[in-house]
Amino acid sequence: MKEIIAMIRPSKMNATKKSLDELNVPSVTAIPVLGRGNQRGINTILAGIEVSKDVLAKAHITGMKFVPKRMLVIVAKDEEVEIIVDAIIKSNKTGYIGDGKIFICPTDNALKVRTKESGDAAL
Amino acid sequence: MKMIRAIVRPETADNVTEGLAEAGFYSMTKMSVFGRGKQKGLTVGNVHYDELPKVLIIIVVEDKSVDEVMKVIQYKAYTGGEGDGKIFVSPVEQVRTVRTGSNEL
Repeated sequence: MKEIIAMIRPSKMNATKKSLDELNVPSVTAIPVLGRGNQRGINTILAGIEVSKDVLAKAHITGMKFVPKRMLVIVAKDEEVEIIVDAIIKSNKTGYIGDGKIFICPTDNALKVRTKESGDAAL
Repeated sequence: MKMIRAIVRPETADNVTEGLAEAGFYSMTKMSVFGRGKQKGLTVGNVHYDELPKVLIIIVVEDKSVDEVMKVIQYKAYTGGEGDGKIFVSPVEQVRTVRTGSNEL
């Protein structure tokens, strides 16, 4: 089994949940996080956002060092990983910076608390 | 690739992220968490706090950078007191960039 960790935009949560529901792999944990990637957050100058001189002088604002995101954690059977990853990319790809990243990590085991089942039966 | 999860004090979190940025590691995710370690929390006077606020920083890097990242985090998060935190390293098999669909970090 694998743990799929996906950092996505908060505004894409509903679309992502819907596409996972449609695939019948709805189990997910979502956490609000702060993050940044290769573009180092949001820089107003690079993004072409106009900030008035007064604001800059008072607050030294040049952008956001960390941007709010949602971290999705999905533990899935090996054979389901590809369709889940494809569904996440399809629901989240806008082509703009900040679409997110997906990490796929190995998981040794899982246990269902209600029934004590482990292995794939727990998922 | 490896995922490095560092649990540090909220007060040192900014030092850690700036130190990592200076060392060339910009991409990371951070979140506020609660936790406790071997000391089972903190007792101040009559009150026992069994969950203490911490910051969890997640950073995924190529294998060759793991030692450097761990060194920077440990150096910047260190105060000498109990509660400085812990760093965990775990494997990452694959990565996908959502914007481009590529398989690289």
